[in-house]
Amino acid sequence: MKRFGIMLLIVSIFCLVAAPVMAANINLVIPLPLTGKQAKFGEIMKRSYEIAVEEINAKGGVKGQKLAISFEDSTGKPEIARSIVEKLIGTKKQPIIVGEYTSACAKAVAAVAEERKTPYLVVASADDNITQQKYKYVFRQNAVNSHYSDGVADYFKKIVKPSTIAILYESSAFGTSGAEAMRKDAKAMGIKVVVDEKYEAGSVDFKPILSKVKAAKPDVVYMVSYVMDASLLMKQIKELRIDAKQFAGGAAGFAIPEFLQNAKDAAEYVISATLWTEKLKYPGAKEYANKYKAKYGDFPSYHGASAYASLYVVADALKRAKDMQPESIRAAMKATNLMTAFGPVKFEDKEGYQNQNFNDTFVIQVQKGVFETIWPENHASKKYIFPVPTWKDRR
Amino acid sequence: MNKYSPFLLLGLLALLPFVGLSSYMMHILILFLMWSVIGIAWNLLSGYCGQVSFGHAAFFGIGAYTAGIFYAKVGISAWWGMPLSIIASTIAALVIGYICLRLRGPFFALATLAMGMILKVIAENLTDFTGGDIGIMLQQRTWVDKTGYYYIILAIAAISFFVVKKIVESKLGYYFVAIREDQDAAESLGINTTLYKTIALCISAVITGIAGAFYMNYMGYIDPKVVFALHDISIITIMVVMVGGVATYWGPVVGSLIMVMLAELIRSIPKLGEAHHTFFGVLLILIIIFMPNGIVGDFRKFAKFFGVRRAQR
Repeated sequence: MKRFGIMLLIVSIFCLVAAPVMAANINLVIPLPLTGKQAKFGEIMKRSYEIAVEEINAKGGVKGQKLAISFEDSTGKPEIARSIVEKLIGTKKQPIIVGEYTSACAKAVAAVAEERKTPYLVVASADDNITQQKYKYVFRQNAVNSHYSDGVADYFKKIVKPSTIAILYESSAFGTSGAEAMRKDAKAMGIKVVVDEKYEAGSVDFKPILSKVKAAKPDVVYMVSYVMDASLLMKQIKELRIDAKQFAGGAAGFAIPEFLQNAKDAAEYVISATLWTEKLKYPGAKEYANKYKAKYGDFPSYHGASAYASLYVVADALKRAKDMQPESIRAAMKATNLMTAFGPVKFEDKEGYQNQNFNDTFVIQVQKGVFETIWPENHASKKYIFPVPTWKDRR
Repeated sequence: MNKYSPFLLLGLLALLPFVGLSSYMMHILILFLMWSVIGIAWNLLSGYCGQVSFGHAAFFGIGAYTAGIFYAKVGISAWWGMPLSIIASTIAALVIGYICLRLRGPFFALATLAMGMILKVIAENLTDFTGGDIGIMLQQRTWVDKTGYYYIILAIAAISFFVVKKIVESKLGYYFVAIREDQDAAESLGINTTLYKTIALCISAVITGIAGAFYMNYMGYIDPKVVFALHDISIITIMVVMVGGVATYWGPVVGSLIMVMLAELIRSIPKLGEAHHTFFGVLLILIIIFMPNGIVGDFRKFAKFFGVRRAQR
């Protein structure tokens, strides 16, 4: 019986911890990948949500009520993301869902949200067809993947003027649709695609594909990858001394601080599409970035900015909604017209998308180890460096 | 466990939706039953027949993709995927069995592991057919309410449980166990080992495939990374059975209870939940060290630890 007693003790400690810790007015639970491959992005977003909620509460919260957020780890698996959302809608009666990162999880969440008629704000999942399903309750704040490359394509057209391109992308929904968008842009500009290769995400050796690239001698190389692959690709490009007029990345792995840390000097002059940079002239963008940097030592990526702004969007919608019912919140979300640190947010139905925010995309370039906004020129923080020196001429 | 306990449990589970459980609880129950089904399937091949497979995601994915492809390309309801997946998984099992069942022990395990990975790469690259990495998404799921799904997966689980039980108690089952214990001895006794191993693989594949087809219908979205996942499907399948008890009827069910319910419970604890992987890892290590035959297999030890003195049978 002694053992039984010990077990009882353990269980009771368990229950004590499990008891609700917070008791605030508006509780939002945010599903995020906090472990697993996408944890890096989840972490950036988690920190940004926290900064945002602090500011919103300091300014008086929503309708006099304080906003409280907590997080649940979806581990990047759709069925777990769904578990969380089922719980939020079914048990906790949360009137609006925000969060998730990977497109697969966002799709699972979106389907549940639509069925249960609860608004869902997609923060950073890019796959085009999330907002092409004629969903009424799903809103997306970040641009769709097929628009991610708009800025880069424009830069190619006006500055680089390539005649051939190599497209490398990871095998994921994000990689595939990103590559497809660039293929279309290339066709429209009359650029010939000489290498078009998909690789298994998380590979360690890109040399077989890269030697193809080297043999084809493309003017530009466009890569769509998540974190580790991005820096590894650039490092191996440097090792193989592949020279191109311009190396470009399609956001995600190329636009976060880890890329600079891991790829080091191989990252120099690389341009990348991005949805946001800390140097943009949006109100609050700089303040947010500095706050984030002071706390965590790095500038946040566009994922963080989108997460940060999303809570403002939600708070704004909750303020305007006539009550806390999902239906009125949906109506308020639909009428959103807010200037945020992430840029203007407005949910439109066009080009076959529903409730989609069409924000501008930008081009950043690594200059002396930091990201500088270079395109479009009216947003530029530094002038672009072009032509890019060959590997031999560097240093 | 007496003779009637399976029926009793089935009856209880069938009554559960009437209690008025939240949609969240229903979701967890559905996942629990789905994993039980996959566990039961794996247990037949690897627990009873001794052919340890590391690639059950292959059959799960084939089932899911059969439903998905027929929905997306032929335009019929994804529920047709369930009967159709029987054909697809059998063919796949015959092909995979033809290649892999010549190998024994670790070599078979590695070959099945490779099969799972190969199918994932195939699904990623046959973009015209499978939609590639974009995956397949159902425009609308059949029901918003979960009761329908629950009864379907409960029926599948019950049927697989009784089918496997019947097989194991029949002559076929003895052949399987004989093959597991000593393949050469079994062969010398006149058992056509290749044939019976193939039978075990086919049945196991069909059950897993049906679970896959159910997943497509239930989740409404699949892509190669989700359904052909090595870690999230193949390894979890093994864990479900290992934790519950290899070569026991109830092992997969108990294992799934732990792997799905307990995992969800631990994950949902505020603050502590962030370390759920650590927690769960420790739990698994403890189970493996102290109960190498799984919870069902070592139930006596388990009961003793809790100080429960039961009349030993």
